[in-house]
Amino acid sequence: MRVVARVGTTLHGVSVVSWIIVGCCLVLAVWAVVLAVRNTSVTFNQLIGAAVIEVALVAQMVVAGISLAGGHDLGDPVTFWGYLITALVMMPVAAVVAFTERSRWSSVVLAVAAVVLMVMQMRVNQVWMTS
Amino acid sequence: MDDVVTAPEDVEDTRRPAYGAGRVLIFVYGVFALAATARATVQLIRDASEATFAYSLSALSAVVYILATVALAHNGRRMRRVGWITVSFELIGVLTIGTLSMLHPEYFPRDTVWSHFGQGYGYVPLVLPILGLIWMWRSSPARIAAG
Repeated sequence: MRVVARVGTTLHGVSVVSWIIVGCCLVLAVWAVVLAVRNTSVTFNQLIGAAVIEVALVAQMVVAGISLAGGHDLGDPVTFWGYLITALVMMPVAAVVAFTERSRWSSVVLAVAAVVLMVMQMRVNQVWMTS
Repeated sequence: MDDVVTAPEDVEDTRRPAYGAGRVLIFVYGVFALAATARATVQLIRDASEATFAYSLSALSAVVYILATVALAHNGRRMRRVGWITVSFELIGVLTIGTLSMLHPEYFPRDTVWSHFGQGYGYVPLVLPILGLIWMWRSSPARIAAG
């Protein structure tokens, strides 16, 4: 697996943002699992982390839009945008659960949400690199 | 009715809101409702005529996932019945389509959520309805009341 996706010498903005999001999600997932094991619900600081991921997702859409306008050849735009749009829903829903479920199970939900986002981002990266 | 209990007004319930492990199940069901809907939408927008049977199945499974999510989250008397039906339907669906996709891959030129027992989704589509049925049984008011 490439840490930074390169084609020739071009660094792809979308892939860079993608790996940043994967990293953030990994941290958030591990953090949530630790709290779940300690029998604690989601904390406010974790929700700030979730908000950072959400902002990164929006940034990724902007970067993708600019790259496409600049002539990046995208093989499957419908799948690409489908992933990006559905990804936006994950963290807000996990946040709602965090408020309504004040038990360890909200931590489990946050961990699941973070892992699902990670997998989605890997697919986003894959689709982006396929022209 | 004499046996209706009303809470005294000065008593406050200070317990933190919690539903338990079922919340995770509902969330994962929600994720699959979303994933299946997105997948079916993408397939139907992009190339509907390419594999009509497979794509119709994707759309059907999306509808069933949405119904199951709503039913599990609502947990009312009638909604629990919908929950039993939809979750059972999913189990039957993933077993039937899983077996069929192994024996007759030519029926499925494109994958569905249920092809190869949900292999493309880490077999979660196979495990999810089993967990769902266990949850429906565990949380059954009749069973809990019977002790």
